[in-house]
Amino acid sequence: MTDILPPDEIAADTIAEESLQASERDVPGLGLAVGSRAKRLLRSILIAIPLIALVVWTVTPFLVTLSISFKDKVEVFSDPSLIPANPSLNAYTDVLASDSFTTSFTNSVVVGVGTTVLTILLAVPAAYAFARFRFRGRHLLLLFTLLPRLTPSIGLMIPIYRIAIATNMLDKRITLIIVYTAMLLPLGVWLLVGFFQAIPRDIEEAANVDGASLWGRLRHIVVPLAAPAMITVGVLAFREAWNEFTLVLVLVNSPGNRTLPFELYKLQGVEGIADYPIEAAFTVLTIVPFILFYTFVEKHVVAGLISGSGK
Amino acid sequence: MTTTAPQPKGNFKPKRNGRWWQRKEPPRQENNAIIGERKSTPYLFSAPAILLVAGLLGFPVLWGVWQSFYRRPRLGAPPERVGIENYSDMFSSDAFWDSLNKTAVFVSGSLIVGMVLGLFFAFALFRVVGRLRFLRAVTIGPYIVSNVAAAVMFRILFNAQFGTMNQVIEWLPFVDSGPRWLADPFWAMVTVIFTQVWTDLPLVILLLLGGLMTIDNAHLDAALVDGASGWNRARHVTIPLLAPQILISVVWLSYSTLTGLGVVLALTGGGPLKATQTMAMEMYTVAFRNLEFNQGLAIATFVLVLNALLTLAYIRIGRRYDYDA
Repeated sequence: MTDILPPDEIAADTIAEESLQASERDVPGLGLAVGSRAKRLLRSILIAIPLIALVVWTVTPFLVTLSISFKDKVEVFSDPSLIPANPSLNAYTDVLASDSFTTSFTNSVVVGVGTTVLTILLAVPAAYAFARFRFRGRHLLLLFTLLPRLTPSIGLMIPIYRIAIATNMLDKRITLIIVYTAMLLPLGVWLLVGFFQAIPRDIEEAANVDGASLWGRLRHIVVPLAAPAMITVGVLAFREAWNEFTLVLVLVNSPGNRTLPFELYKLQGVEGIADYPIEAAFTVLTIVPFILFYTFVEKHVVAGLISGSGK
Repeated sequence: MTTTAPQPKGNFKPKRNGRWWQRKEPPRQENNAIIGERKSTPYLFSAPAILLVAGLLGFPVLWGVWQSFYRRPRLGAPPERVGIENYSDMFSSDAFWDSLNKTAVFVSGSLIVGMVLGLFFAFALFRVVGRLRFLRAVTIGPYIVSNVAAAVMFRILFNAQFGTMNQVIEWLPFVDSGPRWLADPFWAMVTVIFTQVWTDLPLVILLLLGGLMTIDNAHLDAALVDGASGWNRARHVTIPLLAPQILISVVWLSYSTLTGLGVVLALTGGGPLKATQTMAMEMYTVAFRNLEFNQGLAIATFVLVLNALLTLAYIRIGRRYDYDA
């Protein structure tokens, strides 16, 4: 389906198109201009409706949760409006004062930062090797990219749980860091390989001639040039650690080691009647730190994702 | 990927025992990109990552498959080899077939909703791509939310008493009261599907948008000049050219829903009346609630095999469209 038209017809079409544009431009007259303005208005409305739908689809759950989080436990049922009649921060102060939030927040930060650092530390050299060297095992890269698809967490839950018991690694934050790093490494390496290959070899060879060592080149050429990709990988790793739920559910027992998603999951079951404002406030407080962190680097992440998915 | 360097011509055969000015070697481009690196460097560089991934993704899954042929006679007793007994038990249990049905509904429902919405939003975004940057941030929104947080948000949104969904529905004429979403077996599945699609849609949209952006404008212009209407242009030009991204999205959504546990577990826990008990939920229940780990591994292996078939489809799509899968 790539060649729809033979070349000579394309040439004919470009001429036709040019004449079409010319004829459009040349037509004066008030009636036509108004018509085209109405048409343009209709057109922009037709474009706007799906975009508004997209915003509504994405934002409504956030807005509703935000609204509930500012209400009182009883008000949730009595005051159905989106904007609370008398908003209060009680739910937030309650959540922020609770041990369960502060502990799990700390754990999430520790696990998140640990995963990010470890992922970058391991992914950069591996990606550099895959991108720059021809060596036995280079074809492992393909397997590397496919492995995560073949090993979803549903297949990992039981084995990793049993292995963690056998090796006495259950209920430790370091276990979470290592597991999440392993889950993110294939994607991270793959993204970085593409980026490293785009760095011209000549720069490095010139530096090599000038006497730069391997470490010197990595530090002063490769890493600075690949910084956007590394930030992308870092954010993706942090997101994985921050949001992952099913593995932390089985790898952690004691309340002191839970991460935020696990704690939020537990929060729903503990009280007999659901305290919606508390749940909502907790949810908002798990999302907002990441949004702050994310808006800071959003540009890099989306660019990285698009270039990754477009491949 | 790197193209093969031109083969050295003439007297480039390496002479190892000659004097130094005689030791001509072929250009090293083939072996090492940068001249003068040790042979061990790439191995040392890639070993930690490869070992970690192999040890924590590859090995556990294989170990799990192997363990699915074992069983503990009692809790705490050493496992015994039982052959395919776990599998025959699984195939003869009603709960398993029930969960297979639920999974089929869950996956196909998510595919339909996800692809329709994904294409709709991707086409809409394509019109304004690069102009409205805040829309990009909005699109990504659900991607940064954990499954549990999404579940809490949708439980509030779909709450039968104060949820916004029912407020909107009850505001419509001819409708007295909205469904009791999460308490009703049918509507609970609908809610789970929408929640799952909500969390997965950002990647689908980005994937499709990336595909749209690579389509050569010449094709569309040609169709435009030929007088094709907007719908016909989409139907006969854009959609066929977008086929690889559509297929990849379908495979990815199937993967995500087939193996997804987080949303279902956090939103309904398989209920009400096991109405949303997918295979992933069934595996979790059997293993971590009934503590029959080896039986759970049989279910997990079954899902892994289905998923491997999906991955095969993914690779074939990649080959067919010369796509770097």
